[in-house]
Amino acid sequence: MSTPASPCRDLIVIGAGPAGGNAALVASGAGLDVMLVDEGQQPGGQVWRAPAPGVTPVADADHERGAALRQRLQKAAIPMRVDAGVWSVTPSDEGFEVALAGPAGPELVQTRRLLIATGAQERVVPFAGWTLPGVFGLAAATVLLKSENFLPGRRILVAGQGPLLVAVAAKALKLGKAPVAVVDYNGSLDWLRSLPGFLQHLPSFRQGLAWQVQLLRAGVPFHRRSEITLAEPDDAGVLGSLTIQSVGGGDPQRLEADTLFVGNGLVPSDEILRLLGVRQRPDPFGGWQVEADECGRSSVPGLYVAGDCGGIRGALPSADQGERTGMAIAQDAGLQTGTASRRNPWLDRFADASCALMQVDDRRIFALSDDVILCRCENITAGVVRAAIADGAQDANQLKHFTRLGMGPCQGRMCGANAAALLRLSPGTRPGAERLTPRSPLRPVEIPQMAGSFDYADIPVPKPAPL
Amino acid sequence: MDLAVIGGGVHGASIALFAARGGMKVALLDRDALARGASGTNAGTLTMQMTRAALIPYALKAHEMWVRAPEWLGHDVGVVSCEGLSLAFTEAEEALLAERAEARRAAGAPIQLVTPTEALRVEPGINPGIRMASHCTIDGFANAYLTGLAFRRALVAEGVELREYTEVQDVSREETGYTLHLSGGALRARQVVFAGGVWLEPMLAWMGLHVPIRTLINQLAVTERQPPVMRTVVGIASGLLSLKQYRHGTTVIGGGWQGRGDRALNTHSVRHDSLIGNVRLAVHAVPGLAATRIVRSWTGFEAETADALPAVGPLPGYEGAWVCGSVHSGYTSGPYIARCIAQAILGQEPDMPLFPIDRLLTSQPTATLQGQTRG
Repeated sequence: MSTPASPCRDLIVIGAGPAGGNAALVASGAGLDVMLVDEGQQPGGQVWRAPAPGVTPVADADHERGAALRQRLQKAAIPMRVDAGVWSVTPSDEGFEVALAGPAGPELVQTRRLLIATGAQERVVPFAGWTLPGVFGLAAATVLLKSENFLPGRRILVAGQGPLLVAVAAKALKLGKAPVAVVDYNGSLDWLRSLPGFLQHLPSFRQGLAWQVQLLRAGVPFHRRSEITLAEPDDAGVLGSLTIQSVGGGDPQRLEADTLFVGNGLVPSDEILRLLGVRQRPDPFGGWQVEADECGRSSVPGLYVAGDCGGIRGALPSADQGERTGMAIAQDAGLQTGTASRRNPWLDRFADASCALMQVDDRRIFALSDDVILCRCENITAGVVRAAIADGAQDANQLKHFTRLGMGPCQGRMCGANAAALLRLSPGTRPGAERLTPRSPLRPVEIPQMAGSFDYADIPVPKPAPL
Repeated sequence: MDLAVIGGGVHGASIALFAARGGMKVALLDRDALARGASGTNAGTLTMQMTRAALIPYALKAHEMWVRAPEWLGHDVGVVSCEGLSLAFTEAEEALLAERAEARRAAGAPIQLVTPTEALRVEPGINPGIRMASHCTIDGFANAYLTGLAFRRALVAEGVELREYTEVQDVSREETGYTLHLSGGALRARQVVFAGGVWLEPMLAWMGLHVPIRTLINQLAVTERQPPVMRTVVGIASGLLSLKQYRHGTTVIGGGWQGRGDRALNTHSVRHDSLIGNVRLAVHAVPGLAATRIVRSWTGFEAETADALPAVGPLPGYEGAWVCGSVHSGYTSGPYIARCIAQAILGQEPDMPLFPIDRLLTSQPTATLQGQTRG
């Protein structure tokens, strides 16, 4: 292969957030040759995301933690690749082969050990019109806030579930864009149930409470136990109005809005882990966890996991877990390290409280009307999926063949969890086969980046097929 | 049961369909769903220019069947009939192209060698730097992932007993007919067909017959949708590239570059260097692909006998037992090969000769030829 060869690394860490960043620091400090790879231009991940160049950051706790991590990584001089993204990982003779691609072309890097710390991604429960321009994810809003200190839109509505709801609404308010309404899937009773958990981490609790108070003082209306049922376009074809309704019925109410931030919690970004065949188990709050020990050793030798990609826990437990995993990796490589901090049970209870508010019952997906789009890349509706199941599709991969669901650029990252929910509740489907087989590339790769510059004569064309 | 067919790929499913239409009571078994192996994951190319010369007469008949799928199958598999070009970029490829075009033309494929100017008239999307091309007026492609759906509907309508997700663990001969030992229970049938793709080797071993089957692990990739960059099927002289753009705008890149895998474990995956090489070849042949992205790659098994010709015919020494597989370009020729063996199963004379496996039998089980590239 005419891609540049580089020496085998001791450890590649994919994801430079709280988990991956901390793990890289610890492992590198113990003497391992570490390379850190991330999609972003700077370490920090999503929650500790760095502001874009020239943007004055909002000086909150997340920003300070991120800045500290960036400083420590810089001081440790851990090589970090920001000029190329990971598009695939396979097992190799040395351990793992990590495939990168960037403007300079493809690069295949060997590593003895691999840590996956790719975090989480947003889940959205679809509704009629959710693919209109003007509809954004809640987590997408936090990315914009952290990197640009900006939110688009004039008449903003914030909807969905989980702690992000209040955070985004309060930050919109601070930017002078008081939301038209906050539409919360959870009711006061759900929040009350999570209260004991939230009290386990007082700084976060206080922050959340302050946001609530700010929103109430500003007169932002809260619609508890409610959801968006319809988004309609204006004359220009972008979001114009939203219909909200109490969960389980009640009179619909129409609100004018040009921008909606909506999200229904987080799911692990576990594509690489699944590509490498790790064992997973159901998460008690829905979704999946990776089977790993306290220190992140997965069922695949040499493959480690830290942070939300192994199961949703949030930034602070992820940072701790990263530290523990970094030490375990160094120890497994025969190096001396300090003693790892124990898992913090209070942070876990806080995470449980957050996760409880982000649960999506399969029945909500099962109840979607036929015209609601499930797979937005390929415009596949719930009705088409139901027809395919009636036509004999019994698992996710068959559903993909029958309908093209999950074949678009996002490769099922957006629709996978929802299609799985529909499959699980449909009679005649096969239990345990409701997830799409992950495929590389992990993200679409521009062909010039995968091909790089090459001479035709250098392409190692295998022997011709028999005539 | 008159007939039990083991393996629900394009061969097994077609045999089951034709046998049922011939009046037989048929069961079709697969340990997965229909066409979830090679038949559902191959590139769907319906080309003569990658077909072995000896199989051209079969492939031509099968091409016509694919184009007319709505008539005999009852359902569309997204078949597009178009022209095809095989390109030569070097002197060595020119020689290879001339030799291969000649052999395939002699076997009946309408292939002509053309100049770069003529080739660019047929397909403006190709790299103008070619030295020569071979042009076939009969080419095309199907949407392989629709194969399972189309056959499923047809088989259900025909009353075939479909047993998906049912693993056959062994087959034993009875006084009349055979017993299939299943993961849950047994099934009796007067006749049996082994159509298990790369797993024909272990299946035939149940019957005490040893036929080495090499397992190729073919790798494919598909691009994001983009405006039309090509309108024909494009390959290269060696056969190690196949390109076609589907109506919805995605382009499938294939050509038999090898991934890694294990037949016994039924696992296979992409090799990075293979994918990079294949993509380089693709963007060199059709430069317009540089404007799009690779969204997905995948792999699938292809079966190959010792002489790379099909294993299609009666099981020597076993009355009413048949084998069908290892058909090079198996998807292309599949429905017609299946029709021929179904005729034999129904007691008729096949339209074209079968490929009996006597020539392939070895006395000993051989070391598995696995994960090796051709040659």
